[in-house]
Amino acid sequence: MPYITRPSRQSDYNNFPASCPIVIDNGGSNFRIGWAGESDPRITFRNVVQRPRHKATGETVTIVGDHDPALMKYFDCTRSSYRSAFDSNVVYQFEIMEYVLDFGFERMGADGSKVDHPILITESVCNPVQSRSKMAELLFETYGVPSLAFGVDAAFSYKYNQGLGICSKDGLAICVGLTTSHSIPIVSGEPVFEACCRANIGGYHVTDYLKQLLSLKYPNHMPSITWEKVEDLKMEHGYVALDYTSEVRLFQKGGKEAEEKTRCWQLPWIPPPTEEPPSEEEIARKAAIKEKQGQRLREMAAAKRSSRINELENELNGLEFLMKQLENVEENDIPAFLSATGYVSKQEIESSIVKVSQSLRKAKGEQVENEDKLESSTSEKYPLINIPDNMLSPEQLKEKRKQLFLKTTSEGRQRAKQKRFEEELQRERQNQQDEEKRLENPELYLEQLRTKHRELSEKVEQRKRLKANGTRTNGNQNLSGGVGRGERLNAAQKERMRLLTTAAFDRGKGEDTFGSKDEDWQLYKLMSRDNDDDDDGQEEDEAELARVTSRLQDIDPTFVAKLDVGPFQPLTEAPRFRPLTKEDFQIIIGVERFRCPEILFQPNMIGVDQAGLDEMAGISIQRLSVKENGIEDRITNSILVTGGSCLFHGMTDRLEAGIRMIRPFQSPIRVVRASDPVLDAWRGAASYAAAPLFLRQTFSRQDYYEKGEDWLRRYHIRYSL
Amino acid sequence: MESEVIEANILLPQHLSFKRVQMSEKYPKGQARGRHWKHLKQIIQAENYQTYPANEPNYVNIESPPSMYPSKKFCDITGFEAPYVDPRTNLRYANSEVFKRIRALPNEYVQRYLALRNAAIVLK
Repeated sequence: MPYITRPSRQSDYNNFPASCPIVIDNGGSNFRIGWAGESDPRITFRNVVQRPRHKATGETVTIVGDHDPALMKYFDCTRSSYRSAFDSNVVYQFEIMEYVLDFGFERMGADGSKVDHPILITESVCNPVQSRSKMAELLFETYGVPSLAFGVDAAFSYKYNQGLGICSKDGLAICVGLTTSHSIPIVSGEPVFEACCRANIGGYHVTDYLKQLLSLKYPNHMPSITWEKVEDLKMEHGYVALDYTSEVRLFQKGGKEAEEKTRCWQLPWIPPPTEEPPSEEEIARKAAIKEKQGQRLREMAAAKRSSRINELENELNGLEFLMKQLENVEENDIPAFLSATGYVSKQEIESSIVKVSQSLRKAKGEQVENEDKLESSTSEKYPLINIPDNMLSPEQLKEKRKQLFLKTTSEGRQRAKQKRFEEELQRERQNQQDEEKRLENPELYLEQLRTKHRELSEKVEQRKRLKANGTRTNGNQNLSGGVGRGERLNAAQKERMRLLTTAAFDRGKGEDTFGSKDEDWQLYKLMSRDNDDDDDGQEEDEAELARVTSRLQDIDPTFVAKLDVGPFQPLTEAPRFRPLTKEDFQIIIGVERFRCPEILFQPNMIGVDQAGLDEMAGISIQRLSVKENGIEDRITNSILVTGGSCLFHGMTDRLEAGIRMIRPFQSPIRVVRASDPVLDAWRGAASYAAAPLFLRQTFSRQDYYEKGEDWLRRYHIRYSL
Repeated sequence: MESEVIEANILLPQHLSFKRVQMSEKYPKGQARGRHWKHLKQIIQAENYQTYPANEPNYVNIESPPSMYPSKKFCDITGFEAPYVDPRTNLRYANSEVFKRIRALPNEYVQRYLALRNAAIVLK
């Protein structure tokens, strides 16, 4: 139950005479205390105690009942949660009970040296005598209570409703409590405990079941599903189905009716900020900024280029001037003249002039065509190549070797260029052929192209996968080069492994002839890691694929080239999450609305092997020893349901239907709900205690010590005075 | 104590005049008391109900007997009628969709669903 308000201390305690009894309804969920004869209890609070440690002072304090959870920040609650004095419906921890009673009497305003009023306190049906005597002892010894009476809440509730005319003097009280449910037959206004029946199931189990189901259904909202919230949901939305099976079929089938019966609990959810598309102004502004930046970069590049051209021109002029000057200098004076400039020879100056003029042309954007020029004059460029070695000096020999090298490389370059050119031609031709084919039959051509593209891309993909396979199966493979047992290898890797193993195990077998033939050494090539794939075929395929793709892109507007996903890209790319929506923060309660209260009628659903509420009524009637004429009909004609958990909608109808199934045909059956199922027990007890004859039902401290335990065990009050 | 706490008046006073024995006298501070109470099971055992006549009502014999009706089987997940039982998890299920969900459930959740109807495997 949610926190409402703390009960305030009553001030009129001293106005009541000592003979006026205090009435306590010591229920499993709520503790109610008030004065006999009044219509409502003065103080009501949850029957729980919490003993946290105060953070500042370190002392353990006692908090009884519900309180504002905001104040808990001052306390250390790690070792103390709510504790109840009850085990099932029996009080067993009297230390906690004492705290509860302390708080009850304190709030009532008690301030004398003892609680000098007779007490009527409720207890469970057939309370074990140990619990009863402990309670008596506590009240007599600690609070100095003069006299005491125990009664059963369900009976008081029945008596109260009998007084209101809701039920008659013979009947059945069905009380659905927090942890237990009772059915008690009432004959001539007196409860017959011989015939009563108790099932260990109640509102606590309903809430617990609902909580468990919801937290299993929505594991990510577990923190939101608190006991208090679930209790609220149960009280607000729970109902008892008239027939569980047909009701659940309705939901299984789905449809409008089931939808109407489904409830939705929206958890607090803040929608993520939506990104607005930038306005036109914004776009224009950004474009302008970009344009400006581009302009600036272009300007900078231009300035750099012009300054470089300037520099180069100056250098060239200087060099040319130097050359002119050199013409005037005598041959022998050249080294002396040049030592000041940093150049060694005339050739050097010439070569640097060539170099500078080349870079100048390049800077000015002119084509460098020296390659062609060089080609025409092979013999000029490499003058030493055709001269036999024996006619050259060692220096010239060196020069010749250099020239040879230069020649071969430039030739190689030439060949590659030629090849490229040919390839280009080939492609052009192919494209032309394709174009012709396309013009002949565009549809067919397109189709063919598509299939070809598909096949090729599959082939390439396949190869990539194969290549990637072994290396991706586990991370350490790349480092160690080892392959774990049972790991998948591609064909090449398998072959390599085979070679390695045979090489390893061949050693020492027979005569070692390895290396006698040249082919033997080929083995190492095969073993080497680079041998894993045959690249030539792959390259061809890839080139062809690229061609087909570009062609398709040109012709087919519907074609979307599949992105070339490298083998490692998916790993680096972060998985994209679906943005959370409002629906992800909803808790849907459909079947649970009646599935949870159903456990009161079918305790088997939560593994409690006991009869449900409707059957309990039949069992109670069966257990009745009074076989008066028509008593059973009279009882079934006045069935009262009381207790907090009977507030479910549809409870009485379901009970009536269930009991009708048990009883003989055409028995009169009337099920009524108590006028106030929660408070009637206290009210009944209060009006009972107000009667003058009540004091004869109580016992004093002296009685308690003189008569002994056996007497206390058989102690029962008479409910009709 | 913070003024907020005192204002809210949630703490039970240490000393109450109407009590003959104060809490602090009864349970002195700093003394290990151990467990000084019995659970309901122990209470019932100590009551020795078997020594009393059977027709006398007591806490044990007023208990409801098992139901006369055969228990119905309901789907552990949805609450629908469950014609099937999964032999691997022992969960009851209503249809193939629920079966798929059951098979996808981690064992912890299976055990929690089973625990709801007191059928979980408890290792001792």
